Amino acid sequence: QTKWDLPAAYPATNFHTVNMQKFADAVKAGSGGKLEITIHPGASLFKAPEIKRAVQTGQAPIGEILISNFENEDPLYGLDVVPFLATSFAEAKKLWQAQKPVLEKKLAAQGMIALFSVPWPPQGLYAKKEVNALADMKGMKFRAYNRGTSRIAELTGAQPITIQAAELSQALATGKVDSFISSGATGVDSKVWEQLTHFYDTQAWLPKDLVLMNKAAFDKLDDATRKVVMAEAAKAEATGWAESERLAKGFLETLAKNGMKVQPPSAKLGAEYKELGKKLTEEWLEKAGADGKSVVEAYRKM
Amino acid sequence: MRAYLRKLYEAAGALGGLFMILLLVFVLYSVGPGVGLWLEQQVGLPNPFNYVARSADEFAGYAMLASAFLAMASTFGRGEHIRVTLFLQRLRGRARRYAELWCLALGSLLAGYLAWFSVRLCYVSWQLNDVSTGLIAVPLWIPQLGMAIGAVVLAIAVVEQLVVVAMGGPLMEEPSGEEAMHIER
Amino acid sequence: MGSIDAQIALLAVAALFFLFGTGVWIGLSMIGVSVAVMWIFAPAKPAGDAMATTIFSDTSSWTLTALPLFIWMGEVLFRTAISEDMFRGLAPWMRRLPGRLVHTNIIGCSIFAAVSGSSAATCATIGKMTVPELKRRGYPDEIAIGSLSGAGTLGLLIPPSLIMIVYGVQADVSVAKLFAAGVIPGVLLAGLMMAYVAGWAMLNPSKVPPPDAPLSLAQKLHESRTLIPVVLLILLVLGSIYAGIATATESAAFGVVGSFAIAGWQRRLDWRTFWDSVMGATRLTAMILLILAGASYLKLAMGFTGLPRHLAESIAAMNLSPAALIVVLAILYIILGCFLDGISMVVLTIAIVLPMVEQAGIDKLWFGIFITIVVEMAQITPPVGFNLFVLQGMTGKSIFWIGRVSLPFFIAMNICVVLLYQFPALVHFLPDLMVSAAR
Ligand code: NA
Ligand code: NA
Repeated sequence: QTKWDLPAAYPATNFHTVNMQKFADAVKAGSGGKLEITIHPGASLFKAPEIKRAVQTGQAPIGEILISNFENEDPLYGLDVVPFLATSFAEAKKLWQAQKPVLEKKLAAQGMIALFSVPWPPQGLYAKKEVNALADMKGMKFRAYNRGTSRIAELTGAQPITIQAAELSQALATGKVDSFISSGATGVDSKVWEQLTHFYDTQAWLPKDLVLMNKAAFDKLDDATRKVVMAEAAKAEATGWAESERLAKGFLETLAKNGMKVQPPSAKLGAEYKELGKKLTEEWLEKAGADGKSVVEAYRKM
Repeated sequence: MRAYLRKLYEAAGALGGLFMILLLVFVLYSVGPGVGLWLEQQVGLPNPFNYVARSADEFAGYAMLASAFLAMASTFGRGEHIRVTLFLQRLRGRARRYAELWCLALGSLLAGYLAWFSVRLCYVSWQLNDVSTGLIAVPLWIPQLGMAIGAVVLAIAVVEQLVVVAMGGPLMEEPSGEEAMHIER
Repeated sequence: MGSIDAQIALLAVAALFFLFGTGVWIGLSMIGVSVAVMWIFAPAKPAGDAMATTIFSDTSSWTLTALPLFIWMGEVLFRTAISEDMFRGLAPWMRRLPGRLVHTNIIGCSIFAAVSGSSAATCATIGKMTVPELKRRGYPDEIAIGSLSGAGTLGLLIPPSLIMIVYGVQADVSVAKLFAAGVIPGVLLAGLMMAYVAGWAMLNPSKVPPPDAPLSLAQKLHESRTLIPVVLLILLVLGSIYAGIATATESAAFGVVGSFAIAGWQRRLDWRTFWDSVMGATRLTAMILLILAGASYLKLAMGFTGLPRHLAESIAAMNLSPAALIVVLAILYIILGCFLDGISMVVLTIAIVLPMVEQAGIDKLWFGIFITIVVEMAQITPPVGFNLFVLQGMTGKSIFWIGRVSLPFFIAMNICVVLLYQFPALVHFLPDLMVSAAR
């Protein structure tokens, strides 16, 4: 019998973690108890930025990462957070299909196998006032936490404030930050309605989590168990996407129920964001080279 | 030999001190935009700090890591690393020496273990081209180098003390009560 | 709890006690026990690589950088004339209180606590002035030293606080909220201590020396101008957080700069004191980070064994009431606190205790305040207590004598815990206010 530890970054109640737990249960049942995967949620084993390295070096046989955390390593990891490139579940799915083969190749070169990927709900704009055009973002205390968000701040004249996720709720409470882009899930988790008033469902991008495993550890399993792992991974990806889509609506309803103004962006803002997205995609393509170009072309053809 | 080693510990410690100052610089840099915006919106002055504090948070963490690890040996030399001396203090003469040898022998092993794997961490990061996840991509072996060097110097310091005590030299001094403020908590 | 869990728990606890007891450095002891646990219970894992990864990530955490900075701030303030100033500024107002100048210890520590994150530094800074002054005027040692030892611990409960930073980072609780939550309990505890001093003075009128000559209100206010720098520093540090300028981490940097400004203004700042403060802070940080490194590895090793989760599950199965759990934990921490320093105590237990606490439905913010108060108790219980060490160095009395005269203040802390349990709003009021005020 083999026992695997799966370090995960998000709390036990998060839908990603719940989905992984279902995957682990299914693998255990399907392999007749030969492979038992224990989920360690809430970064209780390794912290988020360390998990990829831990899997790569065999400290953990399997782990969950936020793909875009690793955009410094290769721009390709940052594709799903290029603002306004893929702005719905359907588009995100296409983007993942285009991205997946290249990503798999990169991971294989590092001795890892991509198992399944599940998106976060689409990212919207949280603010303390009405935002009807890009010009309204000027002077807002805007959370910048990666390349995309800090470029948005620079291009709109918002004041970028670098705040880590762990400090977000205290920064909101003290007013150090008054706007940020994130999914509905974040807003519900940190009870954003206690501080902010507006949510614009811009669907700016859909960042994805990825469960990956160490190839050497995988190779040690017997054939039947390997098949079970891969089959259950495919199922987990499908249920994860469906769950994310289902929850996305629920999160927005919760925000609205707690008194936030939840609305689509105005026509003007939407158009301006689209322009911004073109510019940022160009910037990304410049960095990403031939691989990146082929992925984006493949995505646009779909 | 011992004089040279002492210089090594003190030099590493002083380097740690410089990283402490650097830590302050990074945190001040990080708070700049917040201050600038407050001046602009609450006081009505122009905003002098209109920049993105790129990776200041990560760099501050790295500076703290380097500062602490580089100073570990000189902290050890002053007897400022926390230990429970209740039992040791009751021993006299030879018994005290044996007890101290036990602590130092085990301490050498463990500090050596920490040093070995800190160096390995740094080496593997270099091999894998591991980079940080913040806005500025930093090869991780650079901040890990501070940890590796500090852990190695600490291991040298513990082993040296082991050799000294094993050869019948003086035991390590305990910090005085006056210094207790500096080893609090 | 399965038999494997029991084995792990017993082995780890016994090994830790053995290593601590024989005098092996605490941080290294924790590394040693973790390696053993990994080798025995998770033999397939690369124990050393996992150690290095997790130590690197945990000891380069941004939130934790507040710790060295608040330490540095304390090092600078210790080298200024701030304690003389506070005695001069406070003494004229204490004339009519029963117990008179003894209260300068408690009020002085409370005020200094609002700029210092540490208990021993508060005790040492205030004691530097009050101990000789109270002795000169004939106050009995037992009350002068006991009240200082007890009130010095307020350095941890009244924000900023090193223990709250360590707990917040480990337990993933907002440090700014912890800081806000500590204010009312801190003032309450200071009040309890002052009530004890007043009661003691009324029962022992002969032991209280006569008051100084009275001053007019104008004279009193004039004397109190010396408090202005410290009040400005409090406004700078805590104000910057709650005005939304800085995070709790960043406010510490203001504290360092502000304390340098005070030192410069008092003409106490030269290259020598500057570098001394840097190195003092650096070595203290090195000491604490070695312990934190050991603890983060222990947490990882325990995580691999699954022990914390199983313990939490078995606690849940026992259906302990929160009150019973708190009593059990309080006793555990008081015993641990006799032998361990506060930071070791928190980091050593948190991985195991926090899942149990959450399971029992106790709020993590409230528990942070509880932990802070039990750590305060640990500062004044012999044989290992840092306020005792500081005062031993300062007065030459034995730590057991100092522990005995601190006992009433230890009891005050216990009363404070009971009150906070009965009235949790004392903890939650300010953090909640902070949330609703931002709207
Ligand atoms: Na304090
Ligand atoms: Na104690």
